[in-house]
Amino acid sequence: MRTLPSDAVLTERLLAPLWNVPRFWWLLFGLSSMGTLLLIGAVSYTVARGIGVWGNNIPVAWAFAITNFVWWIGIGHAGTFISAFLLLLNQRWRGSINRIAEAMTIFALVNAAMFPVLHLGRPWFFYWLVPYPSTMNVWPNFKSALPWDVAAVTAYFTVSLLFWYLGLVPDFASARDAAPTRLRRIAYGVFAMGWRGSGYQWSRYRIAYMLLAGLATPLVISVHSIVSLDFSITKLPGWHSTIFPPYFVIGAIYSGLAMVIILLIPLRRAFSLADLITEMHFDRLAKLMLVMGLMLLYSYVMESFMSWYSGDQYERYVYLFSRPRGPYAVAYWIMTIFNVGAPQVFWLRRFRTSTVVLFLVSVAVLIGMWLERFIIIVTSLNRDFLTSSWHVFVPTWVDLSILAGSLALFSTLFLLFVRFVPAMAISEMKVLRHELSVSPTVGQAADA
Amino acid sequence: MTSFDDELSRRNFVKLLGASMALAGLDGCSRMPGEKILPYVHQPRELTPGIATHYATAMMLDGFATGLVVESHEGRPTKIEGNPDHPASLGAAGIFEQASLLQLYDSNRASAVRSAHAPTGWEAFSEAFSPRALRNHVGGHGAGLALLLEATSSSVIADMIATLKGLYPEAGIHYYSPLARTEASIPQYDIRAANVILAIESDFLAAGPMQLRMSREFSDRRREPSADMNRLYAIESAVTVTGSSADHRFRCRPSMIQPVLAELYSLLGDASVPAQRAAERSYGGITSSALRVIAADLSRHKGQCLVIAGERQPPSVHALVAAINEQLGNTGRTVWRIRSPLLGAGDGSFSIEALAGRLRDGAVDTLICIGGNPSYNTPGPLQFDGAFRKVRNTAYVGLYENETGQNAKWLVPAAHYLETWGDGRAYDGTLSVVQPLVQPLNGGKSAVEILAAVCGVEKSPLALLRESLGRTGLVGETAWTDAVRRGFVVGAAAPRIQGPTIVVPTAAAPEKTDHIDVTFAADSRTHDGSFANNGWLQELPDPVTKLTWDNAAHLSPATAARLLVGSGDTVLVRTPASSIRLPVLIVAGHADDSVTVHFGYGRRGAERLAAGVGTDVFPMWPATGAFVSSASVDRAVDAGQHTFAITQSHWKMDGREQAKSETLRSYNARQATFKPDDHPPPSLFKGEPPPAAVKQWAMTIDLGLCTGCSACVVACQSENNIPVVGKEDVEKSREMQWLRIDRYQDGTEENPEFIAQPMLCQQCERAPCEYVCPVGATDHSPDGLNEMVYNRCVGTRFCSNNCPYKVRRFNWFDYNAEISETEKMAKNPDVTVRERGVMEKCTFCVQRIREKEISAEVAGTPFLGSSVVTACQQACPTRAITFGSLTEPESEVMRQREGPRAYNVLDELGTRPRVRYLSRIRNANPALDTEQ
Repeated sequence: MRTLPSDAVLTERLLAPLWNVPRFWWLLFGLSSMGTLLLIGAVSYTVARGIGVWGNNIPVAWAFAITNFVWWIGIGHAGTFISAFLLLLNQRWRGSINRIAEAMTIFALVNAAMFPVLHLGRPWFFYWLVPYPSTMNVWPNFKSALPWDVAAVTAYFTVSLLFWYLGLVPDFASARDAAPTRLRRIAYGVFAMGWRGSGYQWSRYRIAYMLLAGLATPLVISVHSIVSLDFSITKLPGWHSTIFPPYFVIGAIYSGLAMVIILLIPLRRAFSLADLITEMHFDRLAKLMLVMGLMLLYSYVMESFMSWYSGDQYERYVYLFSRPRGPYAVAYWIMTIFNVGAPQVFWLRRFRTSTVVLFLVSVAVLIGMWLERFIIIVTSLNRDFLTSSWHVFVPTWVDLSILAGSLALFSTLFLLFVRFVPAMAISEMKVLRHELSVSPTVGQAADA
Repeated sequence: MTSFDDELSRRNFVKLLGASMALAGLDGCSRMPGEKILPYVHQPRELTPGIATHYATAMMLDGFATGLVVESHEGRPTKIEGNPDHPASLGAAGIFEQASLLQLYDSNRASAVRSAHAPTGWEAFSEAFSPRALRNHVGGHGAGLALLLEATSSSVIADMIATLKGLYPEAGIHYYSPLARTEASIPQYDIRAANVILAIESDFLAAGPMQLRMSREFSDRRREPSADMNRLYAIESAVTVTGSSADHRFRCRPSMIQPVLAELYSLLGDASVPAQRAAERSYGGITSSALRVIAADLSRHKGQCLVIAGERQPPSVHALVAAINEQLGNTGRTVWRIRSPLLGAGDGSFSIEALAGRLRDGAVDTLICIGGNPSYNTPGPLQFDGAFRKVRNTAYVGLYENETGQNAKWLVPAAHYLETWGDGRAYDGTLSVVQPLVQPLNGGKSAVEILAAVCGVEKSPLALLRESLGRTGLVGETAWTDAVRRGFVVGAAAPRIQGPTIVVPTAAAPEKTDHIDVTFAADSRTHDGSFANNGWLQELPDPVTKLTWDNAAHLSPATAARLLVGSGDTVLVRTPASSIRLPVLIVAGHADDSVTVHFGYGRRGAERLAAGVGTDVFPMWPATGAFVSSASVDRAVDAGQHTFAITQSHWKMDGREQAKSETLRSYNARQATFKPDDHPPPSLFKGEPPPAAVKQWAMTIDLGLCTGCSACVVACQSENNIPVVGKEDVEKSREMQWLRIDRYQDGTEENPEFIAQPMLCQQCERAPCEYVCPVGATDHSPDGLNEMVYNRCVGTRFCSNNCPYKVRRFNWFDYNAEISETEKMAKNPDVTVRERGVMEKCTFCVQRIREKEISAEVAGTPFLGSSVVTACQQACPTRAITFGSLTEPESEVMRQREGPRAYNVLDELGTRPRVRYLSRIRNANPALDTEQ
């Protein structure tokens, strides 16, 4: 049995990054801030000149922006999945990774939310997609998937933020109590909202937390289902498919898990958390990845099979010719190998617990999932019904800058997170410690 | 993008035209010409702001007139259409005529008289070139004076030249347009009377002064698939609109045209012409056996068939064709000749070669060049430009400070034809009147004014015109008023004359096989370069190659393979005159061992749009002006890959049957069992039937009549204020034309069958674009239009993604912010100018529908669907487009929709388009028909 640190030691250890800033943090923060500046520049240029600075065209009217949007939304799924889903399923092991996963969700959603606004021809009118009582009595078109998209993403973002914040309240209180300076005490005190840790507060807190988890769980399913409707309500071969909602949700959780692993591994190393984020955690995440990867494989196979089975020549062309052999065939095959092939190593426990393999496979899956969205969007559009309108899409430097910049923005936000917010759920860790010390079987029950 | 910028300031804009003031009602007609001009059909008592008036006028191209009707809003010409009564138009308008509107408002036009490099005024010019001043330099008889004019058929110019000759008897007068006909007599055709037509290197459906009329006559015999349909054979080297519209198209090396005709001639019965009748021969495509079939078909229709040779074929070919037509009894029935109305036609002393000779001899002291651009568009070996620069005193009168203008000592801005009085002859000799609609924007001067100044005549151009026309028999106020209002003099076609004696060339042309034939062709869009600064035309996809903003060396796939080049590689084309590097464009159906190059690019003048576009091929044009020559073509290894802006990247239909065609025989078999399908396809949507009281707009497009000439595309661009996006954006597939012409090819790369399909918003009843728009910016009107609400559009582009026809266009940049202030005046005030970030598309010319609807309501007359004519429909020379309402069972559009040829594109998607296509019927000769 593992020896468990005391509450005081745990608190001190887990709050340490808030008070002592390691040098590598400044280095990474500097780099990612530069990337964020690139994003700001590229976005400003786009808004100033028009969408024409991207490579989009007719027929490929959607390309990088929507690919990025779907990709980031997908990544944003794992946080709530790990926190809320696993909380409801009473998976205690989630306690050491849920905070990071939730933060990742928030930051991924910040990135994702930028793209649907940015890709508009007239982004200053984005609020027309929101149903508000305008003086002209004009409403959004509820037949379209996009207003629902706005609603789903907004709801998901709001609930995720609340859920994250609610979980943070006790830890903010710990930080307030441990803060070395008055200024920090006040700041953390404001965020702790008067948390005193009384039994009454804890009881209310638990109820609210469970309720929010209950609210967030269906949203995990609904958000990406609705995002997938952006595609499946159309008539476009390659988009017009009923398998899309589950297929998209699976892909989303898959990419989100990959991102969690990518963030956990360096964090664990940097803050010496090997005793809290254990091999067991990686083993379970890897198993989840494998399951998701297999479900994705099923989706891929079914999608292609249905296109053939439908007998529709346009469907067949997209799935059986244009994607595997067309102008974006290289991207298609990389996607297939990365998304379907790479996670197969997780059949072996050796690889499930190797941080190097985990990291590499996760990077491959993230690339693969980005390519998957790119393939779905661009290869369906670039060769649709009339052969005369076929045209390829080539990204411009602005497209690439915005993609790189959005990764940098994500890193910046995450670095700020580990610097200013307790990255581990301290209170939950302490609860888990107590439960384990009272009855060692709790841990095993959680393992099961 | 910067090429669209404009140097004109706001101040200049206000100075240039008071159109905005006219709208405010301050000074309604400030830019109307000072003289009395007469509106077409009816003259309003006063100008009603907001209501357009139409005036008849005519545009000259290569010396021949095409009658036009120009729409004017408050004194501002905004749209050019064909004159329905004019014999060279019949209501249609070609791309050059329509796009000449943009030329009127071109901000790059020359704007001030200058001498040396200093701006002066018109007074200084007229003083310096007055008889008093000029005599001192050119001698009493004007031996040192030379004039170079564009090819013209104008009576008033002829009279002014006569006056000039009276003043300076020894002055040299020369006429030059590189693509103008120079024969003394020109052939006239009656296509309608021909059952079988053989076109030899002739693009009579899309090029030349009579193309609009000939297209109409050709199509009139193909409206209904029946035994009465005509049959067109085309033998050509490059792929043309005519060739791709033919029932049978054969490739032929350009140098083989004469042997082919010789064999045909001997097949038709004259054995005196040498031809290897027994041996089966191939002429780089067409074979003896095919020729025998054609000859048999022609013989079956003696007196009712026609052989047309391309206007730029050598005299020997024309002689052979004349002999063949004679032999077939066609002369006088489907073909006859008239005296060419072009001044100086058939007389070498008026030619540019004669002028170049005089320049070289140093005999010219003063050269006045009115129009044209000889420093650019003359054959390289003539070295005209160098000689021109050496002349002591030169003056250039032109729309632009082009290559010639830059080298001239004096530059005088020329008046656009919409700014000046004038006259000219149509190709059939009909006297046409050029009526101005607006005062010269840049103070430009017409050729008549220049000649009047040089002759010291102090009369207005209008007075001179009336005098000249009076001499031609147009006497009296009524006759004058009638001619101006109509735009031409009725029944004034030139009398038929006996053609020159036909001398059949008996010597077989030497056949060389070691070289590559080079053909110099007029460009479909810039013509001879004179339209190179026109954005509508530069961006108009070539009807055959869909190339924009460029020219290229056209090669067949086999020849390109032999030369180890692909499209975008560079070749060095070497003729005896010069050698030029050109990017290769592989064109399926092009003749082997032959390269086609196009004039009109590589301009070096002050025109900013034209600068740097394409390559100039005039330097390698032989001094003789022959359009076919021999060349060697080699791959240029050191050159990089050239990027073409081509609007279509895939040419095969891949079995998708978007554009349907069939032979007459299979159509007849099918029609016997045809039953109209009155069951709509199954649908989950049970919408209410449309209200019967409202019109239900619909269109049909007959693919059997569409030649792909692209006149409709320019009409749409002009009518609907469609911006020009530039080469870079066309490369990215962002062209904005609402109406595009898809072009498919079927069969082999060597001998493909072509079909053109105009593709525009299909106005689907179950429009996929409508339900995906998140803000409801595209919606359905009660009269069945799929509408775009520009000011509601946020630009998600979801509608375009869901459009199976991909006919929606997006404003990627603020294209309209980049156009010049003058160019803004070409905009149609009835159509919104769209801003950046919004989607746009064909509206079925909703502004025209509403205009007719409202005026019928105001007048209290019944509103007929057939009264609405869309811009594309109006411009179409073959009347391939029909528009009307489904609520009128007797309408033509209903009749066509229910016919056996009608079909919906992508019918299986259930979009229920309001545009239906009529399948193309090929009147294939069973003897050549490989389908059966």
